[in-house]
Amino acid sequence: MEIRSTDRDDFRLVYDANYRLLVQVIMHIVYNLEVAEDLTQEAFERFYVKNMTFPSEDDAKYWLLRVAKNLALNHVRRNKRESEMVEKVKRMPFATVDERDGAKEVIDAENRREVRAAIESLPENLRMVIQLREYSGLDYKSIAKVLGISETNVKVRVFRARKKLEEALGSEERDVY
Amino acid sequence: MCIDAQMLSAYLDGELQEPYRTQVEEHLEHCPACRKHLEDMKALGERIRRIDYPAEMLERKKDDIEAMLDRKYFQGKRKVGFIRRRFEVSMPSLVTAAAAVVFIFIGGFMFFGTSQEQTGSILPSFAVQADSSNVHYVADEASLDNFTLEEILHYLDQKGYNVDISLKGLQPLEQIEPATAE
Repeated sequence: MEIRSTDRDDFRLVYDANYRLLVQVIMHIVYNLEVAEDLTQEAFERFYVKNMTFPSEDDAKYWLLRVAKNLALNHVRRNKRESEMVEKVKRMPFATVDERDGAKEVIDAENRREVRAAIESLPENLRMVIQLREYSGLDYKSIAKVLGISETNVKVRVFRARKKLEEALGSEERDVY
Repeated sequence: MCIDAQMLSAYLDGELQEPYRTQVEEHLEHCPACRKHLEDMKALGERIRRIDYPAEMLERKKDDIEAMLDRKYFQGKRKVGFIRRRFEVSMPSLVTAAAAVVFIFIGGFMFFGTSQEQTGSILPSFAVQADSSNVHYVADEASLDNFTLEEILHYLDQKGYNVDISLKGLQPLEQIEPATAE
């Protein structure tokens, strides 16, 4: 079904289908919910203002994800000077964790910090691929479309990212599992 | 020989095509080392996903932002109303439309309306068919036909000629005057 970004019904359809996905993708790059929400809004505004027609819903989704990713990466680059602040936010315990029982909370917080550090240590090209795969649950074809690379390239990058994460998390993994 | 780890990774994601998929499955049946590797990869994936954010947290502002965008981009326009929006056209486009109508009208006669009786009843003066007998060559280089009488007289006057001009069948007024005075 063709999607026209300035059509009210089409806009709603695309918004409802992709809002969470966009916040999530951005969130895993900027680690700040408010920033993620602002950038998601920005992505949808660009979607409307550009007044584009997409051959399918999926194509609109790929476009939005690409825009969201770029907005998030630009935000992080721009705010490198404030990186200390960001570090602080990253280290902060997860908001919803507070409600859980103490022991689990500690383990979760620990795991969170380790996994996040491992993912952040990845080069950007591997990091985006593994995040789109693991968090957004996109298949290789969709990841390829979003990042503008080949499916084979996606396969290679997913594997390399896994290998690096295994190396980074390997020792702890044996303790946990 | 054991399975290439990259293949195993693609297999885990359900992205491995046949016949490799079956081959991998068959190999996994009797290779504990590869099974372990696959399990480790799965566990890694779960561990990574465990730090994902809950849906309700990610969507907390979904409705607010949607309502805001709707107000900003869609409601403002709706207030203009269907009829007004339909007839709100700019001047240039009106002119273009008018030109198009005239063009199509004339074009219609050129291509379809060449029957002389038809044309004659609508436009009597244009009812003559255009063919070699009644189409004349109009020169575009300078000739006297391109100037009005006044222009010609003015020109001659400038050159120093004194031109007397009279209309056939009409006497100059001065010659009549003495007769009427008597």
